[in-house]
Amino acid sequence: MLQFKLVLLGDSSVGKSSIVNRFVKDTFDEFRESTIGAAFLSQSIKIKDPKTNQDVIIKFEIWDTAGQERYKSLAPMYYRNANAALVVYDITIADSLLKAKSWVNELKEKVGNSTDDNDNDNDNNNNNNNLVIHLVGNKLDLVEDDPEMRSVATEDAVKYSTDENLLFKEVSAKTDFNIKEVFQTIGEKLYEIRQKELDNNNNKQNKGEINISLPRPSTNDSTSCCS
Amino acid sequence: MGHNDFLSNAVPVKVNTLNFIPPKQRELKKSPSMPSFYKFENYTKHRSASINRSSIQLHDTNTPSRIPELLQEPPVDTVSVEDSFVDLYIDRNEESPVRSVFNRASSFQSTTLKRRSDITDPQHFDRYGFKKRTQFITEEEYDRWWSEYSQYCIRRKHKWRNFLLKSGLSLKNDLPEKFPPQSEKLKRYVRKGIPAEWRGNAWWYFARGDEMLNKNKGLYSKLLKKVEENKNNKNIIQDLDVIERDLNRTFPDNIHFYRESFQKEEPFMIQALRRVLLAFSIYDTEIGYCQSMNFLAALLLLFLSEEKAFWMLVIITKKYLPGVHSVNLEGVNVDQGVLILCIKEYLPELWSKMEASMLNTTGQKSISQFEILNKLPPMTLSTASWFMSCFVGVVPIETTLRIWDCLFYEKSHFLFKVSLAILKLSEEELLERKLSISQSILATFSNESLEHINSHGSGGSANHRSRPRVEDMTQDDYDMLFFQVIQTFPKKLLNPNDIFEKVIFKKKMTLNKLDQEEIDKVRKYVSSQRDKWARFNKVLNKDSSNNGNNDPGNKMLYKNLDDTSSIQEGTDNISLSNEEVMDTLLSEVSGFKRISLSGVNWNNSIKIRVKNIRQKK
Ligand SMILES: Nc1nc2c(ncn2[C@@H]2O[C@H](COP(=O)(O)OP(=O)(O)OP(=O)(O)O)[C@@H](O)[C@H]2O)c(=O)[nH]1
Ligand SMILES: [Mg+2]
Repeated sequence: MLQFKLVLLGDSSVGKSSIVNRFVKDTFDEFRESTIGAAFLSQSIKIKDPKTNQDVIIKFEIWDTAGQERYKSLAPMYYRNANAALVVYDITIADSLLKAKSWVNELKEKVGNSTDDNDNDNDNNNNNNNLVIHLVGNKLDLVEDDPEMRSVATEDAVKYSTDENLLFKEVSAKTDFNIKEVFQTIGEKLYEIRQKELDNNNNKQNKGEINISLPRPSTNDSTSCCS
Repeated sequence: MGHNDFLSNAVPVKVNTLNFIPPKQRELKKSPSMPSFYKFENYTKHRSASINRSSIQLHDTNTPSRIPELLQEPPVDTVSVEDSFVDLYIDRNEESPVRSVFNRASSFQSTTLKRRSDITDPQHFDRYGFKKRTQFITEEEYDRWWSEYSQYCIRRKHKWRNFLLKSGLSLKNDLPEKFPPQSEKLKRYVRKGIPAEWRGNAWWYFARGDEMLNKNKGLYSKLLKKVEENKNNKNIIQDLDVIERDLNRTFPDNIHFYRESFQKEEPFMIQALRRVLLAFSIYDTEIGYCQSMNFLAALLLLFLSEEKAFWMLVIITKKYLPGVHSVNLEGVNVDQGVLILCIKEYLPELWSKMEASMLNTTGQKSISQFEILNKLPPMTLSTASWFMSCFVGVVPIETTLRIWDCLFYEKSHFLFKVSLAILKLSEEELLERKLSISQSILATFSNESLEHINSHGSGGSANHRSRPRVEDMTQDDYDMLFFQVIQTFPKKLLNPNDIFEKVIFKKKMTLNKLDQEEIDKVRKYVSSQRDKWARFNKVLNKDSSNNGNNDPGNKMLYKNLDDTSSIQEGTDNISLSNEEVMDTLLSEVSGFKRISLSGVNWNNSIKIRVKNIRQKK
């Protein structure tokens, strides 16, 4: 089992907590309490190793953060050691994409991004040069009911994501559309990166000890959550 | 039964003690300073025979009494949810008796209970209108616990009543307006819980609400007027959107805030909440609106009239939690730093685990107190909300209320004390969970994973591995477990006495030595440390502008800090007084490592330090 830290960022009320709750507990509440500070949850998924075709368990430690602007000052605490970031906007609110973009910028500036192949000058295995960023446009269901409500065009978001080299999907926490897929994609991407790192390590150490990861205990209650 | 007979009734259980009805928050058409609930006549006129529970109403000190008539009714010793439940559906139009409370209530019952009985059946709600069942507590658990705790509440109220009468205070309609002067006895009574229906008055009294209100007579209505005039003007009401977005996300599981889809009008509570938050946002522009204040205001509205709730919100954010809700949230960070130091001082075992975790994530060999106070360990991501919302939503409601009782009587240090108490109790849970995890490791190892290890030729033999120990957990696993426990454990603290009897009332526990004076000092200390950090950083960024790394964790800083001379040299361009440098260095000397090894009393060391600095002046 591999463990990764994932952080959710995005404006207040875009549906971060709803996405996490859909993913972790498969529930949705029309009215969910706004998040204060941050909430911690965890959930595991299975992916297939593309080479061996074996199942691999990926466990996400998820930090769901509060979206209000002023909480931004606490944000470095969340993403300090993150492996992945889910940056969420609401496709019915144009302004929320701007907020999402500013998160992406901040992450790239402060943490680095999976596309930067910089060599690290320290051996700190917690460096974040491999942060996976996934952009998500939420509340797709609203647009399906009433196309007028859309205020962020899919093409715009796609173009932005391509330019910035982000993963991207439109989802709905309400109807459970594309939610699992988002985490699946992130999981696969993280696994790919981890495998590359291992290969690099092995090459470096020539035929040194293989760095296998022993199965981790499951901290049972994967559904624990605070909201 | 006359009022006095009622009070001298020796059998507490017979007394109508627990009926709780929140003040009916309603639209304030005439004047906001008017009591914000229904005129009593309207309220009682339509009482139907089917709902004959008496209810003791929270009331304003300047409101004429509405209670005597109610006292004619047979006392009941159970908690009536129906009363408070029905209040929500009191029609706003008081001139129209046809659509009265109880008509509305009965029509409500006939139509909606059938449709959404799971959501709206009163038996699923507690006396404040919160859903009994939560993610962590079943309704059966709640009911079982409540059948005992409600008896406790009745006993406590009886004792309170005697205490007040002995202190020569009168209980107008069973509602005290004044409380005895501060004393150990009163503190104990408060800690054991203020009767729910007295809470509004008691909080208001202890927090000196009247002082605030008298200084600001009429201001709330002026603010409301301004809000009304600028309803859509985001330049004046900047937090309009954020507030609006949070209204339906405040206590969505409480019947007073919950909005049924068939309801055309918003619940009064939501309307009142909007007004309080908007008024506050233009009253205190340094704070404006901060998420978490919605929960503070909402809880206040369940216990106090709208205007009083507003002023209590002002008092909480100014007096009890200064800076915590400000735009940069610096107060939160300071308080989290204070909490960390408290953990170090009072829960050394937990502290050592936290330290290990920090070293693990940063990859450093050691970490200075200075750095910890400024970077704050990840645990504080969870505990920050404990302070911001004063435990609303963090622990179950009756527990929250007991904490609030003490908060207003004992001031903010109680939040730290109760945080420590909760952390202390979580440690036990943590141990239990670790044990069960060990067992699950055993299970895992006896299954596929053994193959996995063997096929990879791992060094550890299967024999050795099949005896799992707690130490088999990696630091990451432990951290994750720790976060989970910190998040979930408090939500299971249904019984407030678990905290109070197991920790707070245990005189021997050192954490009970924590007092307000100490917290005030440490707050000052942490805040000055963070200030310095920020200033050092400024210098550092100038010095190493080519570096582009503005992470305060920059190692250069520590080099400088370890060496007095370089601090003085390195800080040419900022004005650090000798005293400040001394203070920093002294604080480094009294770093936690020494404390945890030698058991030096940290409080004393702070006192000595302060003395030293004074002498140098
Ligand atoms: N129609 C629709 N509504 C959604 C969806 N996801 C979330 N919502 C609603 O949007 C509102 C806000 O959702 P939250 O999950 O609380 O938003 P958040 O991003 O966690 O907000 P903060 O905690 O304040 O940062 C709630 O009322 C949700 O019911 C969705 O996919 N479709
Ligand atoms: Mg949220």
